[in-house]
Amino acid sequence: MMLTLPLSKRKHLLNIALCLALMWGIYDAIMGPDLVSDLRSFTGRYGAYLLLTSLLFTPLSQRWLWLKRHLSLRRNIGVWGFVYAFVHVIIWIAMEFAFDWRLMADEIAGNLFILLGILAFVLLTPLAITSNRWGLKRLGYRPWQSLHSLTYIAIPAVIAHFFMAQKSDVLEPLLLGAVLVVVLLWRYRHAD
Amino acid sequence: MLIKSSQITPEKVFNRRRRMIALGLGVLALPVVDKGYALLLQKQDQAQQPFPPLASMPELVPEVLQPTSLKTITSYNNYYEFGYGKADPSEADKSLITSPWTIDIGGVGADKPGLYDIAQIKGEHAIENHIYRFRCVEAWSMVIPWNGIKLADIIRAAQPNSKAKFVRFTTLNDAQQMPNAGWPGGAYIEGLTIAEAMNPLALMATGIYDKTLEQQNGAPIRLVVPWKYGFKSIKSIVKIELVEHMPQNTWWRQNDREYGFYANVNPRFNHPRWSQATERVIGKLGRKPTLLFNGYADQVAHMYPDPDNRLYFY
Repeated sequence: MMLTLPLSKRKHLLNIALCLALMWGIYDAIMGPDLVSDLRSFTGRYGAYLLLTSLLFTPLSQRWLWLKRHLSLRRNIGVWGFVYAFVHVIIWIAMEFAFDWRLMADEIAGNLFILLGILAFVLLTPLAITSNRWGLKRLGYRPWQSLHSLTYIAIPAVIAHFFMAQKSDVLEPLLLGAVLVVVLLWRYRHAD
Repeated sequence: MLIKSSQITPEKVFNRRRRMIALGLGVLALPVVDKGYALLLQKQDQAQQPFPPLASMPELVPEVLQPTSLKTITSYNNYYEFGYGKADPSEADKSLITSPWTIDIGGVGADKPGLYDIAQIKGEHAIENHIYRFRCVEAWSMVIPWNGIKLADIIRAAQPNSKAKFVRFTTLNDAQQMPNAGWPGGAYIEGLTIAEAMNPLALMATGIYDKTLEQQNGAPIRLVVPWKYGFKSIKSIVKIELVEHMPQNTWWRQNDREYGFYANVNPRFNHPRWSQATERVIGKLGRKPTLLFNGYADQVAHMYPDPDNRLYFY
């Protein structure tokens, strides 16, 4: 039944699913004992997954043609990754530090872990803003492509940030990192 | 196959992409470089740098301690033997057999070693109520109303001799009862100096809110040393040894760059990856300043004669 759905419908379905997942994460955190850290880790973790997934589309679609037909879903997944990251940042500013800018500055200063997170967010913001027909038209295809190659810096920063966030259980970010290294090396060879 | 010229990536874009990817690999390597650099640095300045003067510490403001809710205390836990997540220990099967339970008290420093039944220990000493701040090294905190026995009373019963310079604690390590028992590669170990162990603040807790301790909180008996980071307060204790030499505790063994033996709370001495100046009070928004020795400086500071020695604070 799924297979008979046109691509645009599937896109809507994906959007609804990722939106519901975020809402479920927020609900679950509200019901749990520590709203702030639950929300922070939910959005951080799954934001990272989504962003990494968006990077997998090109290499995997070389292998599986059906994926090639779905290449336009990549943009949705990337933008949703950014939405998760956006919520992640808002939680940090509004709930973790309650807008105490001085405390935040103290925390950021010389802290590679947080600096990597900020770097990723700053790089992803223009990409999310231009991830639509308007952005593509406005910039032109080649400049748009050039701008969006910033993902190759932003997503490694996300994974490095994820790795540094763990106290001891680093298996998950290490696996994501391994996948990322493979994708980046593949992408380096096939940079066209 | 015919390829349209518009489909060919121009060399400029191709090269830029490659540069970006190379940079990205560099960014991904940053945590490793950072760790290596810190290790190098640590080797270079073995001579410890002093802290900024403690005189600039914020004054300890007397505050009424508002206990965290029982639901939060029993559902937000670090107990890796039952899983890495904060909710894992409370959601795990109640597989820990807490009765009967004996503590093996011994070591070269004990003149009267023996197996002590927990029911017997509880019967012999008055159960005291202590409302303590609890500060995790991860920079979150709670306020917990403990019920328990002074650790000093339990140690005195084993008649410590002059060889008792340190106390080494061991958590139960049984894969049958703990789904993630293998995480530290052996049993969880903690340690105190004998002076710390005899300090009246050091508590062996058996309950919270007048209720028997639950599995996720370290049933049936656990240490509480409120002036130290939470990982020092070892759970589900099966062995207490009075020893001559400083025992290596689990987190020290896991990561000696970030965790050591003393781990006293100090807002001026940051964790390598985050600030310890403030803490997130679980259940509340925003952060509050962290206090030196978690607010217990009056009772414990005398045990640490050199307040600038950073060995005391991680």
